[in-house]
Amino acid sequence: MVKIGIPRALLYYQYYPMCKTFFEALGAEVVVSPPTTQVMLSAGSSRVVAETCLPVKVFVGHVLSLVGKCDYIFIPAVRSVQSKVYNCAKFLGLPDMSRAVAPEALPILEVEIDVNQGKRSLRRAIYQLGRYLTRDTAKIKRAMATAWQAHLDYLELMSSEGLTPPQAIDRISGTLEVEAEAGSNQVISSAIAVIGHPYLLYDELISHRLIHRLERANIRVLTPEMLNAGELQSATTRLVGEAYWTYEGEVVGAGGHYLSSEADGVIGIMAFGCGPDSLMMDMVQRQAARLRTTSFMSLTVEEHTAEAGIVTRLEAFLDMIQRRKRKQSKVYA
Amino acid sequence: MRVGMPHMGNLYIPFKTLFERLDIDYVLPPVNNRHTLSLGVKHSPEGLCIPFKLTLGNLIQAAELGADTMLMPTGYGTCRLGYYAKTQELILGDLGYKCEMIQVGVSERKLFGILEMVKRLSNNAPWSKIIAAFRFGLAKLNALDKIERAVQKARAREQTKGTANRLFDAAVKAIDQADDYNTLKAIQTEYIDRLNQAAKNGHASPLIVGVTGEFYVVLEPFSNLDIEMELGKLGVEVRRTTFVSEWTKFSLFLNPLGVNEKDRIHQAAMPYLKRDIGGDGWESVGEKVLHAKEYDGLIHLAPFTCMPEIIAQNIMPKTKEDIPVLTILCDEQLAKPGMLTRLEAFVDLLEWKRRARNNGRQRVLV
Repeated sequence: MVKIGIPRALLYYQYYPMCKTFFEALGAEVVVSPPTTQVMLSAGSSRVVAETCLPVKVFVGHVLSLVGKCDYIFIPAVRSVQSKVYNCAKFLGLPDMSRAVAPEALPILEVEIDVNQGKRSLRRAIYQLGRYLTRDTAKIKRAMATAWQAHLDYLELMSSEGLTPPQAIDRISGTLEVEAEAGSNQVISSAIAVIGHPYLLYDELISHRLIHRLERANIRVLTPEMLNAGELQSATTRLVGEAYWTYEGEVVGAGGHYLSSEADGVIGIMAFGCGPDSLMMDMVQRQAARLRTTSFMSLTVEEHTAEAGIVTRLEAFLDMIQRRKRKQSKVYA
Repeated sequence: MRVGMPHMGNLYIPFKTLFERLDIDYVLPPVNNRHTLSLGVKHSPEGLCIPFKLTLGNLIQAAELGADTMLMPTGYGTCRLGYYAKTQELILGDLGYKCEMIQVGVSERKLFGILEMVKRLSNNAPWSKIIAAFRFGLAKLNALDKIERAVQKARAREQTKGTANRLFDAAVKAIDQADDYNTLKAIQTEYIDRLNQAAKNGHASPLIVGVTGEFYVVLEPFSNLDIEMELGKLGVEVRRTTFVSEWTKFSLFLNPLGVNEKDRIHQAAMPYLKRDIGGDGWESVGEKVLHAKEYDGLIHLAPFTCMPEIIAQNIMPKTKEDIPVLTILCDEQLAKPGMLTRLEAFVDLLEWKRRARNNGRQRVLV
């Protein structure tokens, strides 16, 4: 059976169930790299120039960890999944760059996804992908349909039950949920929204287990995946008008939504050197300053980020929110 | 309504002509300097690239001079550029300037979009007047770029250092003043002749170094700390494919007609980078491959954190075409001494390589 390796980084968190379903429906076995470790990050960092953003360094580390464990490594180039809305250059250059910096990771299975080229072009691209595994066009067509349904189910699961991508993926795969609902017997003190790209939020090494820390402090964590597409879209439109980047919703949309709703505070995570985020997070920050109702903190992570720094800032932020709540709940006679 | 716009090289000159001929009230911020940079850095979000910071500085200065209508390029699928205008509008608003931002689309509608914008700004001047003004502006742009090419050749070869730069400054001033086609043509011919003369009198066979990379930092000397002038001082002839007149030719005119010279560059990059990654990333890789035989070395300019250029930077070392590439990241932290040290070392390296190549050839002849 052909083994296809999928790196547990970047678009894994958005599209893994869809890709897994597609490849398995065509008779392949899917292998995923293990969760990020410091060794993987160092290996990835050593192959690219220093200015490359952290998520891409992690991605390269994951690609390297799959060498020898599969027959192909799947690296798509996702240009656009919405008309006239494009993705960051890093995603477009990913397959070619991986080939250049990790030549031992060949062969790479690549496909370009661009909905602006029309439905037929998109379908042709996916057929070409499927051809690596089978010549049966009807089988590929069925696999596409099943995979798309799996993707929709995945999104629905996350927004209706408030699961994070790793939790949802575990649920779908039937593996045990490692993280039990922390503090489920204790009083929830506040609700904090974390916004940012899933490949930062849910990668335990990059995020320094931010969500886990919040849950341990009895905080109800709100994530972008808990919102449905409509809510993200309308919040994005309210803040910046038309979306410009493919994943603008999870930063600007989620930020805009949570700043105006149930969150007591919003934490935005971005990687140092991230082009899009430097603008998007700024938009959210300006909105927070304008509204003055919800506290906002922006956390920038990169290789040298020390856990202690993150913990200190987190504690200060939570203290600030507690103080604000106490002040607001004081009744003046 | 008073129009303001940011700077990029000598682009202000054709625009000045356009505004003046159409009686559009305009104001130009001072040419980029340290004050522009500090204004821009102070009011920009941290992780942004230098083109944003400098253009923001320009717009703030324009607003202080009374501009209320700002022209900024935009487009989709073009790295971060398409997001600049709305962010800058917000920043200007937060600083208390009341401005309208006119986003000049550089990726869609191109020529027609620009002409329509000009019509609106000129209070509906007749099309004949607009096209005439536009054509003259374009003629100035072409003249400036032709002269600049001659300057690049002359800088490397001139006997008296600084001749070419002096001639360039004079030519720019003259073109700015020129008010009709005959004067313009006369200026162009005169200065190109004088520059070619300066080149002939000097030493022959300088090193040939290409300059490529992100559009803005390649074209705006302040952002790259006058790198072409410095290379000229080191006796290097700079060759560049990126000129605004080239861009207008292929984007405004030839592109709608379906001809694209850029395809040659993209074809060259294909074995290493198969697709457009936004900005000028594809072109950077392609230029290295395309000109490997003609250039002794390549300088790759990029703003710090420029996404497409980082991908290009990661791919370039792996090409079979093996010429030395020096990547210089431009941002507010770039200092001249550091850059000069690197340039000198780079030029030394190219000299040694050339000598080794020539010696090798001589050995074969013996």
